[in-house]
Amino acid sequence: MAQTARRTLLYIFLSLIAIVAIFPFVLMVLTSLKQGGAALTSIAKLIPENPTLKNFVEVWVADSFGIYFRNTALITAAVILGNIVLDSMVAYALSRKNFLGKRAMFLVIIARMMIPIQVLIIPIYVLMHWLQLYDTLAALILPTLVQGFGIFLLKQYFDGIPKSLDEAAIMDGANDFQILWRIIMPLAKPAIAVLVINTALTSWNAFLLPLILTSSQGTRTLSLGLALYSSRYGVDFINQMAASSISALPILAIFLVFQRQIISGLTKGALKQ
Amino acid sequence: MANKRKFSTFILLSPWIVAFIAFSLYPVGYSLYLSFSKYNPLAGQAPQFIGLGNYKEIIQDPAFWQAVKNTVIFVVGTIPVTTAIAIVLAVFLNQKIRFRSFFRASYFVPVMTSVIVISTIFTYIYSPYGLLNSFLNLFGIQGKNWLLNTNFALPAIMLMMIWASFGYYTVLFLAGLQNIPEEIYESAAIDGASSVQQFFRITLPLLRPMLIFALVINTIRSFQIFSQIFVMTQGGPLGSTRTVVYYLYNMGFQKFRMGYASGIAYLLFVIILIFSVIQMKSLSYEEQFYGR
Repeated sequence: MAQTARRTLLYIFLSLIAIVAIFPFVLMVLTSLKQGGAALTSIAKLIPENPTLKNFVEVWVADSFGIYFRNTALITAAVILGNIVLDSMVAYALSRKNFLGKRAMFLVIIARMMIPIQVLIIPIYVLMHWLQLYDTLAALILPTLVQGFGIFLLKQYFDGIPKSLDEAAIMDGANDFQILWRIIMPLAKPAIAVLVINTALTSWNAFLLPLILTSSQGTRTLSLGLALYSSRYGVDFINQMAASSISALPILAIFLVFQRQIISGLTKGALKQ
Repeated sequence: MANKRKFSTFILLSPWIVAFIAFSLYPVGYSLYLSFSKYNPLAGQAPQFIGLGNYKEIIQDPAFWQAVKNTVIFVVGTIPVTTAIAIVLAVFLNQKIRFRSFFRASYFVPVMTSVIVISTIFTYIYSPYGLLNSFLNLFGIQGKNWLLNTNFALPAIMLMMIWASFGYYTVLFLAGLQNIPEEIYESAAIDGASSVQQFFRITLPLLRPMLIFALVINTIRSFQIFSQIFVMTQGGPLGSTRTVVYYLYNMGFQKFRMGYASGIAYLLFVIILIFSVIQMKSLSYEEQFYGR
């Protein structure tokens, strides 16, 4: 009897925490559907009376969030692709080739992960001006195209793939790129999935680089657009919640579908870092 | 043949070499140089070497020390709370319960969302006519303009960040707990250990490496807090939410004192380096523990 009561209490407690975790997003979506002028909430008026999508249209078209969305999607896709192709090349060399300074290079990659980005941003800002890439999407893509995290992750995974497979391929006259792309990459899908998830999240949500490397609307990302929107139109909460939804819902939808893989990928990522 | 192989190694490594030089080696070196220089990019002049000038000024700058104080308050005020919540939830979730993956996923939702979105939602919740005040009104408590109050703005942001990050550490600890063999608890139970004793004698000691790792990661992240401040308060009111990185941004990219900002960045770097070294040590513990 006491056992049942304890279990019931446990479920109530866990459910309450779940509500606390999710509620702000429910609030975001409900508010984004409200008719203008009624943002001021009392708890009784949480649910919009006449739900409308016009706030989304307004934010998407008039406030340029359509452009921000396109930019963010473009940058995220490019960074994911870059990391798959380039990180795997470096990881392959570290896993399969012998060269002078290999161990030193591996240590440098690990050490690099300890450098906070704040130390790098001023020189990167100067560099992008010098390359005449300031205020372009390329400026946001290039710095994160090859990352130690992905190299490290793939290298560890490649190490577990038997070398006898590539030796057989070498006998057949395959070169390194063929071995990497035809033999190793198809076997490394779980690691690539982790890489894609991590890169997609950090790239989609990135804020600091867009903030310092762009200045015009045409190159703005969702995070930056929303941040500037929030600080500029301090009280227009309905449209802010619509803009927040545009930024958050794609990620949350993907999370709903792949939550098991994403959670295990992100915790593994943290453990390996 | 051998030459061809060497050449292909070089091609394979070239993306990293280019990226490393452009986005790691050069920035680390150049910002160190800038930290000893006076540099305003808008003035159109090259950086001017001034030795330890920036560091001397930073150490005497009350605004910098206020930023350090706020950041330390943030770190000390959030991390123990987040960690305690996460451990308790992880222990609860590690029992034989139904809907475990539902609970785990729902706690993880804030972790997935960008800090900018979270900050926007909480600016709304904390606003004078927002949900928090409307909730407090139910109990007859007079609300405040939380983010414009020097006593409440920083705690309000701290509370938000505890909410935003507890799920990540819960999932991390849960993964650690699932690595502890069931038999240990079973034999402890046979020996008559209560569940509280089991928690302090078995769970906590075995979770220690994971715990150190989480504390260090959280400390490093918390020292870098910036975006929340940018969206919610811009460091105000009266500098009460100005953090080290916000001050760095303010000096470097609003006042364009990039030498001065680089000095702040390097001081931050040293702090984070200390914690990273601790992390390296904790990781090797962890490897021993899980035998990875």
